[in-house]
Amino acid sequence: MAYFIQVLIDAVALGSLYALVALAIGLVFGVMKLINFAQADYLTVGAYSLVIPTAAATPSMMFGGLPWALMIFCVVLSVTVLALITERVAFRPLRNTDPTTLLISSFAVSYFLQSLIIMFHGGRPKSVSIGAALTRPIDIFGLRVGGVQFLTMTVALLLLIVLVLFLKRTSIGIQLRAAAEDFSMARLLGVAANRVIAIAFAISGILGGVISLLFVIQTGTLDIRMGIMPTVYAFFATVIGGIGSLPGAVLGGYIVGILSVFLQAYLPEEMRPFRDAGVFTIVILILLVRPQGLIVTSAAKERV
Amino acid sequence: MRIFERLFPVLALVVPLAGVVWTIDQFGSAGVERVSTEALIRLVFAIGLYIFAGNSGIVSFGHMTFCAIAAYATAWQTCCAMLKPITMSGLPAFIRDNTFPLLPAALTSIGLAGVVAFTSGLILMRLSSLSASISTLALMFILNVIYSNWTTVTMGSSTIVGLPVYVTIWIALGCAALVIVIAYLYQVSRWGLMLRATREDEVAAQASGTSLYWSRLIAFTLSGFVAGLAGVLFAHFMGTVSIANFFLNHTFLIVAMLVIGGMQSLAGAVVGVTFISVVIELFRRAEVGFSVGSMQMSIPAGSQELILAGIMLLILIFRKAGIMGGKELRWPWSVRDDGTVAGVGQVRLARSANCHR
Amino acid sequence: MLEVKQMVAGYGRLTALKGVDITVKEGEVVFVVGPNGAGKSTLLKTISGLMTPTAGEIRFQGDRIDGRGPETLCRRGLALIPEGRHIFKTLTVQENLQVGAMIRKDSADVRSDMEMVLDTFPILRERFKGVAGYLSGGEQQQLAIARSILQRPALLMIDEPSLGLAPLVIDQVYDSLRKLNETGLTLLIVEQSTGRVMELASRIYVLRNGKVVLEGDREELTDTSALDAAYFGFSSDAA
Repeated sequence: MAYFIQVLIDAVALGSLYALVALAIGLVFGVMKLINFAQADYLTVGAYSLVIPTAAATPSMMFGGLPWALMIFCVVLSVTVLALITERVAFRPLRNTDPTTLLISSFAVSYFLQSLIIMFHGGRPKSVSIGAALTRPIDIFGLRVGGVQFLTMTVALLLLIVLVLFLKRTSIGIQLRAAAEDFSMARLLGVAANRVIAIAFAISGILGGVISLLFVIQTGTLDIRMGIMPTVYAFFATVIGGIGSLPGAVLGGYIVGILSVFLQAYLPEEMRPFRDAGVFTIVILILLVRPQGLIVTSAAKERV
Repeated sequence: MRIFERLFPVLALVVPLAGVVWTIDQFGSAGVERVSTEALIRLVFAIGLYIFAGNSGIVSFGHMTFCAIAAYATAWQTCCAMLKPITMSGLPAFIRDNTFPLLPAALTSIGLAGVVAFTSGLILMRLSSLSASISTLALMFILNVIYSNWTTVTMGSSTIVGLPVYVTIWIALGCAALVIVIAYLYQVSRWGLMLRATREDEVAAQASGTSLYWSRLIAFTLSGFVAGLAGVLFAHFMGTVSIANFFLNHTFLIVAMLVIGGMQSLAGAVVGVTFISVVIELFRRAEVGFSVGSMQMSIPAGSQELILAGIMLLILIFRKAGIMGGKELRWPWSVRDDGTVAGVGQVRLARSANCHR
Repeated sequence: MLEVKQMVAGYGRLTALKGVDITVKEGEVVFVVGPNGAGKSTLLKTISGLMTPTAGEIRFQGDRIDGRGPETLCRRGLALIPEGRHIFKTLTVQENLQVGAMIRKDSADVRSDMEMVLDTFPILRERFKGVAGYLSGGEQQQLAIARSILQRPALLMIDEPSLGLAPLVIDQVYDSLRKLNETGLTLLIVEQSTGRVMELASRIYVLRNGKVVLEGDREELTDTSALDAAYFGFSSDAA
């Protein structure tokens, strides 16, 4: 029972994380029909901004050496700025092209950023330790829970609640949802295209920054590829949730996250390395039953 | 004359390639020959991807899957008879304890890749084009996870060494020419035209009776076979197989080549691969260092990748249809043509073909 | 109020409008009718700024507006309800209306306008917190109109308000359009059929193949045979 609850906490933590990334991807897709591969690199850049660019395997700290609050602020700010730059330089000129071209271009942006990181930091994984104090297990109602898991769950859930409230309650949030559903109509009503798109990218950047920190605290390593898995999972979350649906993205995020944790926990030992393959296979099987995703939107169909 | 005119788009690609290969064979250094052989194999793969992506308008990020499947399959059959029982003990006994002749091994491997493409296509081709694009990525991740961890059969993330190396520049050229012909025959066939029609206007094509699902599935399967051929060629060109070579970096390279050349025509695929192979080789040499007069210069390592991504973005922004702009090379003295581009002409054909049904 | 002069617009190599002149005066209800593919929707899209004309000029309240984006034009009092209504289906009725009123700063006025709109369309008050996607076609059209009114436009353009609605519902929609016009709102309405046009129109344009083939005041066009002839492209003495 205790094991099950630990697994459950893990599942909620990971599910919330994927839901966040999926929401970021879903928002950007909504406002400009772009599935953004570069989200992976927002995560990676956030993590690498903790250390000084060298090829060393245990580099000295850059933002990672700052006091907590300042470190979070700097990391989040730099990722957000990066997200806005990619929008301005690469995606804005392509705004009116088809989704496939946009997808390819984000693939190119992602590769560009990845090569840039390799150029400055080298391609090998590095170890970095922040928030060592948080890794101690804590007791909640007599249950021993990993501190990092608890932190991840709390932060991810909080962020998710804040983001949902922002989207539901604020004027800008409502505009963003309106634009995500029907961009031309939103413009006709005065929603400024540049602004909502920039806000969607800023949200991507902010989430990218925070999540990158959570990942580093969890794993203690920096890796060129660290952003790819969560992002690809988030892609799938948006696809099984129904491309273009924001609630669908959150739902998909939880499905993927929970599947992943439960397979990890309950697969026989020798099968565990194959966990990700299992998750993807199940996801594809869900798509077999519901090719348009769980929540069907008009955006999921090709435009007529 | 008419036949010549019809085949011109193929000949205009194959003949210059053959000319270049002959020149390299005669006068080029071993290094140049190696690089060119690799480029030709990439061309085979790019054309495989083109058969699906170019004709359907759906980019696949997962075709490395089929490449890897064929490469491993041929490795299992042909490599290292002494070591195999130890390093790949999980293989079925008749494969583990025998070494198979090269040609049957190649053919079965290609067949396996095609079968996997067909099976996965049964599911993936049901999806809308964006979801399908992303799901092809999942396919590659599934394969990557399995092959990196299935240690007793694939040696995990270690490299399988000791495959017979038989792919010369001429064999690579022969295969490239073969797949160019296959791709061309496919795209002017009934099924190819139908699929190109769906690319231009999905709703109209469906309304006129085209089965979107089947025409996509056929292209996906065919391109799986061709990607499999590329996998076999890679394996027997390098003499080694490693799962790391069949992942995102290589995928990016090939997609970039297709996009830059122009994804919507066969000529685009050939031009893209050629152009980017030359660019990459130049930058690789520049990274190693070159001398200008008495000065030794070099550009920082990694510039190659940056430049490639940069070119790709610029092309997407300023010339979305790529260098070739979706056109095939056409017989320049044709009287039939009224000045419209080849791609459009073919689509128009496709539409009328549908109307007549 | 609105003057369109020799406007040319299209999609790529396809020219949908080939030199169109249209004038709308303050307080009028102007109808543009024409068969499928005449260029009616393109006309409204271009005026509203969703598309850019390739030639000609558009003046609104005296200023050149062609080439401006829709987010600017709606702030100057130009509103468009596109074909198919385009309400935000995943948003609630309330949120739809909020987005409509977004460009206005006077929150007290917005509140009283909101009340006014909800009085005009009582069904929207009933469904205020509900998701807009569940409204019926007629209710969605009412929501679309209500949302645009909250922009407080000087000129409201509507693309096929009767599309896909039952005759009884069309009555309601036309009724509310008449009331709006009586409060001083200028309307530019596109319809495919000439059937209902006479009830409301102060002036009518017939558009065919991207050109205006007939224009006239209601009084001039009481003989509908000329209108029909122009609509269907018969060569008649009126055309």
